[in-house]
Amino acid sequence: MGNEKKKNDNYIINIEHLNKHFLVDKKPVQVLDDINLHIKKGEFITIVGHSGCGKSTLLKIMCGLVDYEEGVVERNGHAVAGPGPKCGMVFQDHRLLPWLKIKDNVGFGLKKLSKEEREANVKKHLELVGLTGFESSYPSQLSGGMSQRAAIARGLANNPTILLLDEPFGALDALTRIQMQEEILRIQQEEKTTMVMITHDIDEAIYLGNRIVVMSARPGRIIEIIKTNPVDSKKRGSAGFAAYRKRIYDYFFENNDEQAKNIL
Amino acid sequence: MDRLKKTIYGLLIPVIILAAWYFYTTYSNVPGSLLPQIQDVAGAFNEMVSDGQLQNDLSVSFIRVVKGFLVSGIIGIVLGAVMGMSKKAHAMLLPAITAIRQVPVIAWIPLIILWAGIGEASKVVIIVIAASFPIMINTLSGFTSTPSGYIEVARLYNLNRWQTFIKVYLPHSLPQMLTGLKLGLSVSWMALVASELIAASSGIGYRMNDARSLMRSDKVIVCMVVIGLVGIIMDKVISVIFEAITPWEKIARSKGK
Repeated sequence: MGNEKKKNDNYIINIEHLNKHFLVDKKPVQVLDDINLHIKKGEFITIVGHSGCGKSTLLKIMCGLVDYEEGVVERNGHAVAGPGPKCGMVFQDHRLLPWLKIKDNVGFGLKKLSKEEREANVKKHLELVGLTGFESSYPSQLSGGMSQRAAIARGLANNPTILLLDEPFGALDALTRIQMQEEILRIQQEEKTTMVMITHDIDEAIYLGNRIVVMSARPGRIIEIIKTNPVDSKKRGSAGFAAYRKRIYDYFFENNDEQAKNIL
Repeated sequence: MDRLKKTIYGLLIPVIILAAWYFYTTYSNVPGSLLPQIQDVAGAFNEMVSDGQLQNDLSVSFIRVVKGFLVSGIIGIVLGAVMGMSKKAHAMLLPAITAIRQVPVIAWIPLIILWAGIGEASKVVIIVIAASFPIMINTLSGFTSTPSGYIEVARLYNLNRWQTFIKVYLPHSLPQMLTGLKLGLSVSWMALVASELIAASSGIGYRMNDARSLMRSDKVIVCMVVIGLVGIIMDKVISVIFEAITPWEKIARSKGK
């Protein structure tokens, strides 16, 4: 017992037997079915699945924006009871507040710091994401990729133990997206923040994830958790990378190779 | 279109009207008491300014508008914001407000005169009845159109209701509040003039009615022109103030977003 408890403390996120229902037309609809997921410090977890498979709900449960009734959800060793500064979040639509300058958006959650500490913190995180010099710009003046960088800086400003990313690069063009993937890996290596990212892009999931969580749709269930070997997963052209890709495609397209090729 | 061309196009219709007015009053027998010549109107303006009548009437009316508009602004913004942030308040207040709003402000004037007389208080009350609604409705629509994504960001950072109001709802709603305030101001001005025409012993509307009873159509027209000009100036002043407090709007507009 005592031993097991200690093991749980090492997890940044510990989810056991999580079920989640939503009421649709007064009838319960199951969105998450018996989710078990343990995330260790420093890991980069990617979650792939069809739209509507409950990925976003799972992420929002982790950060406390959506509550849950059945199962255990612990963040940093405590049951999740709401949002907290130790858990950052980045959304697909960057959600920077249009009326705040970039520096104020990044410092949005820094309530308890003095003015100087706040400025230093914002400066550091803007430097981290490569946005130095844009402190006084408004979000409308930034491109999609730059806005997402600012959103990542905001997510990291509180020095969270975990950063949750909900399809952060989904709205970006292909080239910017690959550039941002490199950036987020660099940022993770510098900051050592645990990261969980939802994505529709299977290549992105393989390239970024230490482990890839593959989910089925309605109700959302974890089909497999694939542990990646960086020798293969960090080389987009390698045979190992292609093997991961095929393995994941097979889940979604019922071994239909032709279909998979068309999508590629 | 360049600036000069735009100005020329804009001036076209006013110039035609003035020219028609000039020629009609110069070359026909229309009595001056019905339609004065332009130079008579200018003369009436000079007369009213030099004996101080115009300044007096205008300042009386202006102070009434400012009082009424400020009260309307507070009532409209507070009610709009409360309804925008609380579903309960929305469900409770909106039906009654919508019903009251159907009664035109002119139709309130008899009752207001019975209750508050023809003094200052009745003018302010009439302005408030007229101007609170557009301010409230626009504030409400600004609040309810606040994207849920921004509200979620506020929740993510554990902002309480008040902080969410200040940091998310209010700035998001400012542009629409401006629209409401502009509308409210022009409505204030119109409601005031209407109420002064019906029952008052001072003010620009009273002066018009007085001039009419003396068959001084030149003075009536001076008052009309002044009312229009004051309306334009007040509208511009509000625009300038709001542009100063919402700098992000101008930048987003210039980017075409």
